[in-house]
Amino acid sequence: MTRAGTALRLVAPKVLQFAFVVWATYTVTFLLVRVLPGDPVLAALAVQSGDATTVDPEQLAALREQAGLDGSLLEQYLAQLGALLTGDLGTSLATGRTVVDMIAGVVPGSLAVAGLALVIGVLTSVVLAFLASIAPWRWLRDLLVQLPPLGVAVPAFVTGLILISVFSFSLGLLPASGSRSGDSVILPAVTLAFPVGAIFFQVFITAIREAEASGYVFTAEAKGLGRAAVFGRHVLRNALLPSVTSIGLLIGYLAGGTAVVETVFSREGIGRLVVSAVLARDVSVIQGVIIVVAVVYALAALLVDLSYPLIDPRLRPGKAAPKPAAPSTFSIAPEADALTSSTTDPQNGAAK
Amino acid sequence: MSDNILEVSDLQVRYRVGRRRIEAVRGIDLTVPRGGIVALVGESGSGKSSVSQALIRRLAGNGEIAAGRAVFDGQDLLQLPMKRMRAIRGGSIGFVPQDPNSSLNPTLRIGEQLVEGLRLHLKLGREEAAQRAVRILGDVGLSHPEARARQYPHELSGGMKQRVLIGMAWSCEPQLVIADEPTSALDVTVQRLVLDQMQQLAADRGTAVLMVTHDLGVAADRAEQVVVMRHGQVVDAGPTAAVLHAPTHEYTRDLVAAAPGLNSVRLTASAAPVATEASHPILEIRELRKTFTLRRPGAAPEPFTAVDGVSLAVPAGRTVALVGESGSGKTTTARMAARIETPDSGSVLLDGQDVTTLRGEALRQLRRDVQVVYQNPFGSLDPRMSVAQIIAEPLRAFGLGGRREQLTEARRLLDAVQLAEGLADRRPAELSGGQRQRVAIARALALSPKLLVLDEPVSALDVSVQQQVLQLLVDLQAERGVGYLFITHDFGVVRQIADEVVVMRQGRVVEQGPAERLLSAPEHEYTRALLEAVPGTAAR
Amino acid sequence: MTKLLRPTTLVSILVVLLCVVMAFAPQLIAPGDPLAGTPRDRLLPPSAEHLFGTDSLGRDVFTRVVHGAWLSLAAATLAVGIGGLVGGAIGLLCGAARGRVGTAIDFVVMRFVDVLIAVPGILLALIVVATLGFGPWSIALGVGLGAAGSFARIMRAQVLRVRGEEYVEAAAVLGVRPLGVLGRHILPNAARPVLAMAALELGTAVLSVSAISFLGFGVAPPAPEWGSLVSAGRDYIATSWWLTVLPGAVIVGVVLAVTRLARVIGESR
Repeated sequence: MTRAGTALRLVAPKVLQFAFVVWATYTVTFLLVRVLPGDPVLAALAVQSGDATTVDPEQLAALREQAGLDGSLLEQYLAQLGALLTGDLGTSLATGRTVVDMIAGVVPGSLAVAGLALVIGVLTSVVLAFLASIAPWRWLRDLLVQLPPLGVAVPAFVTGLILISVFSFSLGLLPASGSRSGDSVILPAVTLAFPVGAIFFQVFITAIREAEASGYVFTAEAKGLGRAAVFGRHVLRNALLPSVTSIGLLIGYLAGGTAVVETVFSREGIGRLVVSAVLARDVSVIQGVIIVVAVVYALAALLVDLSYPLIDPRLRPGKAAPKPAAPSTFSIAPEADALTSSTTDPQNGAAK
Repeated sequence: MSDNILEVSDLQVRYRVGRRRIEAVRGIDLTVPRGGIVALVGESGSGKSSVSQALIRRLAGNGEIAAGRAVFDGQDLLQLPMKRMRAIRGGSIGFVPQDPNSSLNPTLRIGEQLVEGLRLHLKLGREEAAQRAVRILGDVGLSHPEARARQYPHELSGGMKQRVLIGMAWSCEPQLVIADEPTSALDVTVQRLVLDQMQQLAADRGTAVLMVTHDLGVAADRAEQVVVMRHGQVVDAGPTAAVLHAPTHEYTRDLVAAAPGLNSVRLTASAAPVATEASHPILEIRELRKTFTLRRPGAAPEPFTAVDGVSLAVPAGRTVALVGESGSGKTTTARMAARIETPDSGSVLLDGQDVTTLRGEALRQLRRDVQVVYQNPFGSLDPRMSVAQIIAEPLRAFGLGGRREQLTEARRLLDAVQLAEGLADRRPAELSGGQRQRVAIARALALSPKLLVLDEPVSALDVSVQQQVLQLLVDLQAERGVGYLFITHDFGVVRQIADEVVVMRQGRVVEQGPAERLLSAPEHEYTRALLEAVPGTAAR
Repeated sequence: MTKLLRPTTLVSILVVLLCVVMAFAPQLIAPGDPLAGTPRDRLLPPSAEHLFGTDSLGRDVFTRVVHGAWLSLAAATLAVGIGGLVGGAIGLLCGAARGRVGTAIDFVVMRFVDVLIAVPGILLALIVVATLGFGPWSIALGVGLGAAGSFARIMRAQVLRVRGEEYVEAAAVLGVRPLGVLGRHILPNAARPVLAMAALELGTAVLSVSAISFLGFGVAPPAPEWGSLVSAGRDYIATSWWLTVLPGAVIVGVVLAVTRLARVIGESR
């Protein structure tokens, strides 16, 4: 009973937070679309018909209804919220298809690129960080540490275009565009891997530096452990926690990065979907994509949050140090304190 | 085969800061006889920690050994290739690091951290090493060692962690153990137990010990020989009794005189105290209670009673010392007395007036009569303000006088705490710990309060500076007739400044009474244990 | 002072100064007309006469890049300004109110801030652009909203940290009124790391702004803007690399310089 109880107490608030963020995203996008000046339906119609002068009022009203932009603000809000809870993200103003349909069609492509980019980026930075820490020469370490900021400073569209220029046009090795062939994923993924890896590297190397400066690393070295052992058993495990946290940040970054990369490489994906939706002033699609992206991010953040107790023993429930003056009788005998904190149930004190 | 396990000659250590080189150790000599215990004593900045780190060749990143020899069992440690050095570290020379709270890997179990060294140096198999680790935990006095081995560092108290570190240092049967301030972070009773343990281990196994400490009392109790360092040089060295009772160097003499454990006597004011009408106590607290809610991840919130029915009184112009170890509730009690916290029940009377439930503006007005001096000289001053602004802030808060008058008053207060007027425009970062604490005292006195609550005001200071600040407090009390509620864990300090003593433990008052009586003839067993645990008591 | 004289820092300062000149007085560096082009001179590689070559309409790319600095940099600066002020205010309110007025307000507001962080800056900017219309100022507002989220979080964290410092409690004990404590102790000490972050965000904002204008939502042609310059060169990438690489290099250089300076400022205080 207590096991399930503590698990619930740990998980419940975080799940609640997740639900709250999803609701808040919906509200924010809802407000953004309606509060900012400009009439999206009119604009969409204008884009479709080519000019903004002649507008059929009936058509306008029908479109408004379709986009959920009729009725009072509150009515719209509740109606759309209701639809959202049943998985209905509305209908596209431009294509007439349901937003869910459109998104589902392009998600696999984006996921492939984003996933591969994450893997490449994280693995490369781990290797780089390892080398930077183990390398015996100071100049090499300094050099390796200076490289990643470059990865962030170069915009993805520039990297992508350069990669195309080199690998597709000059060397003819990889395709420059399209989504059909398997290796069309490679160049886009590598393009995104640069900034992703760079961001992760900076967080990781900072965490490593902090761990290296700590007291327990001193103790480990004073015990006579070699560099590799100290790094592997002491530094790495403690540098993991802040690094895992940054993965949430990276997912957010990737979601935005796909817009640019898919445009550069002419791939079908969420990013391209949004770009064309903006061009067509198709607010339903934009809103739908944003909600989906926010949900994915919040889900990732939730999973990361839930993984903390697994990584860091200090965040696990229950045990804390016994109070320093805890012994009930003051004696000069070795500390006769309870196994677990004196205020918790002694029966539950079985060691793990 | 010499009699000495370690012979250090002309050791010099430097640190590179930007382009400059700062000399931390300027050529010291040191010997540790086989199986002997040597204390290396010095205040902050003396270079003593650098010596211990240099011996195992593990200085901070920007440190370097400039010269010298350190002959350990026939080999010069400072010339060995790192590979040989690693074999010696942990294997022949054990090291007990300073801060138990940050010296253990929080993500590894205790047993695993012990096993590391055992497998490396003694080449034990996994099973054997695990069993040996459990035995070591038992040897250092931990109860239920098998269970302890499977716990993580955060599940142990400071004293227990220090024992683990001691066990780790002794685990591979070294010939020498270097201990860097092994007990500074611990309560005095725990300190005594831990040092007893170390001494026992050393005696049983014939290990030599080089103990680095700032506490002369500890050196007096435990070491056979003492080496006194100051500004990177050895100032005095020899058998403990000789150095402490007949110091050759003036510095050592001052250090011995200032050491609270060794030599404390009630300080007297330089001038005659101002007469105060003693009709009622300036502070009276009755049956104060305070309960907090402990929240741990995944557990239901639990109530924790920090203060459980405490009563005491501070006579006008006198000092009451509130003594206890960590967790005793003394700090919470003092905070309630100063009305920073609101008691759950009970009453606080200031100068006869009940101030227990004051809030808002009325509470703010109370600040003119009660002020606080905090423990940490680094944290209680806003780093962005100048000294003059800091001292004048309470005057400004109550609109007392114009800008110029406030500055003049600030300078007057600087003078009263014996700080040079030139410091008025400096920032806290440019001052030493002792100077900052004087600024904090000046600030607290700006409104001429009737009562000062001082929370361990000298614990973070070097011993010689402590003495000066305490003398200053005594003088100021005589001048101004301010009452002091003085919180401390250090009985040496209590001896120097208290008129009355209140001993607390686990939220309750265990004993209270006039200082002279309580210190010489304590009635309660806990008070007696506290007094006996003060390092240096044995030597007095 | 010695830190200021390190070569990388000096170069960064020079680059930033150059940017300021490019933004406010582009004629001093590139006296030509960014909109005028001679079709005969189209797609020429970089040379002494045309430092960055010419584009498909024969316009000098270098002049276009220099004149395009204003829009790109102004939009980025505006974005950071909006983000910093709005986000900072929110963070300050949440941090200062937490505990005093209960934790509910803090919780709710911070969840909305979470949204601004959860939605990638580019997407947030896109929805603003879709509703308000294209152009650098919409982009600035959109990027600014995204930045506001990060600023709010950092400001709140700093305020909470400073509130836990002893000198803040000491100020209250000394009799300083709550607003006085906020204005004289909490704000100045909390703002410093936030300002350092603002400098870093400027670099990120330049990247975001140019990315969105690359996607086609920036200023309408023929006005020059860094992101749209790279986008325009896309079609000719096989033959005329200078159209994409050189404006891209300028963006990279500016971002690196700004980031470097931001770190130096952050470390020195």
